[in-house]
Amino acid sequence: MNNWVRKYLRHFLMLTPFFIFFSIFLLYPIFKGFYISFFRWDAVHPAVFVGLDNYISVANSSYFGIAIFNLLKYVSITVPVGILLSFLVALLVDSFEGIPSGFFRSTYFVPTMIPLFLAASVWRWIYTPEIGIINIVLGWLHIPPVNWLTDPKVMILSLVIVDNWRSIGFNMVILLAGLKNIPGEYYDAAEVDGANKFQEVIYITIPQLRPVLFFTIAYGFISALQVFDAPWLMTASQYSTYGGHLKGLLFPVMDMMGRAFGNLQFGQASAYGFMLMLIILVVTGILFRVQRRLGGA
Amino acid sequence: MTKQPFRLHVKASTILKWIIAIIALIIALFPIWWVFSIVFSDPGTPVSVNPRLYPSSLSAGFQNIAKAVTENNYQFLRAYLNTTFYTIFTILGVLILCSMAAYEFALFDFPGKKILFSLALFAMMIPTVVTLVPTYLLVAGLGWINTLQGLVVPGIASAFGLFMLTQFFQDIPKEIMDAAIIDGASHFGVYRYVVMPLSTNALVTLAIITFINTWGNFAWPLVIATNETTFTVSQMINRYNGQFTRASINMIMTVNLLAAILPLLFFIIFQSKIIKGISMSGLKG
Repeated sequence: MNNWVRKYLRHFLMLTPFFIFFSIFLLYPIFKGFYISFFRWDAVHPAVFVGLDNYISVANSSYFGIAIFNLLKYVSITVPVGILLSFLVALLVDSFEGIPSGFFRSTYFVPTMIPLFLAASVWRWIYTPEIGIINIVLGWLHIPPVNWLTDPKVMILSLVIVDNWRSIGFNMVILLAGLKNIPGEYYDAAEVDGANKFQEVIYITIPQLRPVLFFTIAYGFISALQVFDAPWLMTASQYSTYGGHLKGLLFPVMDMMGRAFGNLQFGQASAYGFMLMLIILVVTGILFRVQRRLGGA
Repeated sequence: MTKQPFRLHVKASTILKWIIAIIALIIALFPIWWVFSIVFSDPGTPVSVNPRLYPSSLSAGFQNIAKAVTENNYQFLRAYLNTTFYTIFTILGVLILCSMAAYEFALFDFPGKKILFSLALFAMMIPTVVTLVPTYLLVAGLGWINTLQGLVVPGIASAFGLFMLTQFFQDIPKEIMDAAIIDGASHFGVYRYVVMPLSTNALVTLAIITFINTWGNFAWPLVIATNETTFTVSQMINRYNGQFTRASINMIMTVNLLAAILPLLFFIIFQSKIIKGISMSGLKG
């Protein structure tokens, strides 16, 4: 026993700081959250066990339906559009050489350095009816103004623009690194075989880039499903009222925050979080399965 | 087939490529330029009449900045300091905790290694949305609402950081460590004087990612820093955009600009490291 301690103690001493904080501030909240999702609790009065009531009342609430509907619409637009644009931008930058290549890569990356809440705060004013630059430019072209922030048909699109304005640079940099890893001989061989640029992209670039593409797609889904900062700011939301005009930008995390910190329904909010996690796990599970099937082919 | 039309074709596509690249550049940079132009223009004419496509008054800009910084008893300046401390301490905490644990996972065998590592993997799979409310309740129970430790401490045991550093540390040659041990280095000494100096690149990468995530964190300060004296920059921006704000567009754009300056400066200084770091995180992850 003494020997065992002497042999391994030094390893555990090095691990201790991380795992103390990890257990208290990450593991414990996960289990605690699961536990309180079965209670009605406002953090003041004693908790009351309610079984699955929190899950049922969240699922039956009208806000949940709207939030999930908005989420599906948003995710199904923003992820494919974002990946496609990032890929095209990466190809564009990759087609330059030397100084222009580095210059465009850096400038396209600049929006990624702007925090998302800040991007939302800037774009909110770009979208504002009277003084927003977009509607002013549309006016010059004699196009009627668009209510970017209040027309439920457009609001999600407005969010998609903000989101991608900021994230394309991030994805582009990752995809560019993947492009650089593709051996040049593949393209040489394709050229000998008489393939054109488009065929090269379809038959060489995309298959070779698949692991990196998969990473950006999975990452894109996971963060899009938890969208919060940008719609919260764009709609000037508060815990008491959130989601904007006609709840056009109401999303699950906003609703969860509203229930927790507006109504002090911590049990319901926890149940909300776990339901959202289930959706995220299903989506990433499907993605991994698709990736593995393609990988086996 | 003559050579002439072929060459013309190449040129047309090159021109098209440049046009697209420049349009994309305008889209990427215009919003930031517009913010800058609003701040550095006389507030006299309304934006709807003069949309501020370029800056027109240096002194108006400095007046705006001076007003934004000093307003409400230097509240914005205080928020800037709060965010700076929040970010610095989070980076330090993440680097120390994750590098110590990653040292063990990457380079040694010990009982329970697999279980501990899968535990961290499990936690990384759990989206932050699940832990936000219970972690808030825990921090509230500790009496850490509106404190620096309430902002920092829950974020420092980063499972992502542990994984990233473990992958990098695995590439460290065993011979160098053995040589240090023969020279009499202790277990901690090898970590401190061999592994850490050899991993500067990985540590810088993790520091950059942590900087971007912490400086840009909105949800956590929103629930933790609720008192005006503990507001972070993100909270100030939220306040200026709030429903009942009386702030003018000039003031809002000035705080936006001030909030953006530090990340942008950071990018200008560490540009190549940031881009390299982000691309490595994608390839390794």
